[in-house]
Amino acid sequence: MSFCLETYLQQSDDYEVLINKAGFKDCARLIRFKADEVIYVKPGEVILGVRIIGVPPIPIGIIENEKKLLIPYTKPCHGTSVVELPIDKKEIDNIRKLAI
Amino acid sequence: MKKALVLLGCPEAPSQTPLAIYATYKLNSLGFDVTITANPAASKLLKISDPENKYISNIVDLDRCLNELNEGEFDLLLGFIHKEAAASFFVTFYQILQIKSIAIVFEKDEDLVEEYANIISDSTDAEVLAVKAFHNPNPVKVKLDKALEKI
Repeated sequence: MSFCLETYLQQSDDYEVLINKAGFKDCARLIRFKADEVIYVKPGEVILGVRIIGVPPIPIGIIENEKKLLIPYTKPCHGTSVVELPIDKKEIDNIRKLAI
Repeated sequence: MKKALVLLGCPEAPSQTPLAIYATYKLNSLGFDVTITANPAASKLLKISDPENKYISNIVDLDRCLNELNEGEFDLLLGFIHKEAAASFFVTFYQILQIKSIAIVFEKDEDLVEEYANIISDSTDAEVLAVKAFHNPNPVKVKLDKALEKI
């Protein structure tokens, strides 16, 4: 079965919400500040099983030596959050292929 | 038959539900088969407002709709935006669908109306109907009627 971020966030506790109920710009700024590598993707790209929501270009942060990903996550009533979660090398490579 | 997708935001704005039903009625009159996509809270308000499905026949969960959406799947996108998150959703739906789109931006704060309208104008070629409104649906209705006359 493929990985799904939505399910992962409901069933795991090894992720961290770095900012919550924020604006997209603030979340994008945080990702750029915290990540060693930032990959910009189009809205609607599928990352970790979900479509990424936001205003282009959407930053996806990678901290490769810690194997962590920083991703914006938007819900209609709760604004945008930045979630930091573990990721494997193969998935990092898949995300790099989506770069614009 | 042409197909329209109506994208709803958070149901916090009181005018969103009646406007969504009104927009569906208008689009049906113009020959569109209308699908509404909304989160569970906004869907619930719609279902209670139209118990016999006289206006609304097709509501799809927002996450499911987004994950299954394909380019060109609809002919028209109509989005309700009164929060920044809704602007992000609209831009995302627009980027995937690549179709004629109308964004209804409404808020009680004029600065936020301008901010959300700019987000959409900067990232899409959608027609943006921006108006200060919250409880009263009429300012939006007037702009929507004019926009739909041109379709």
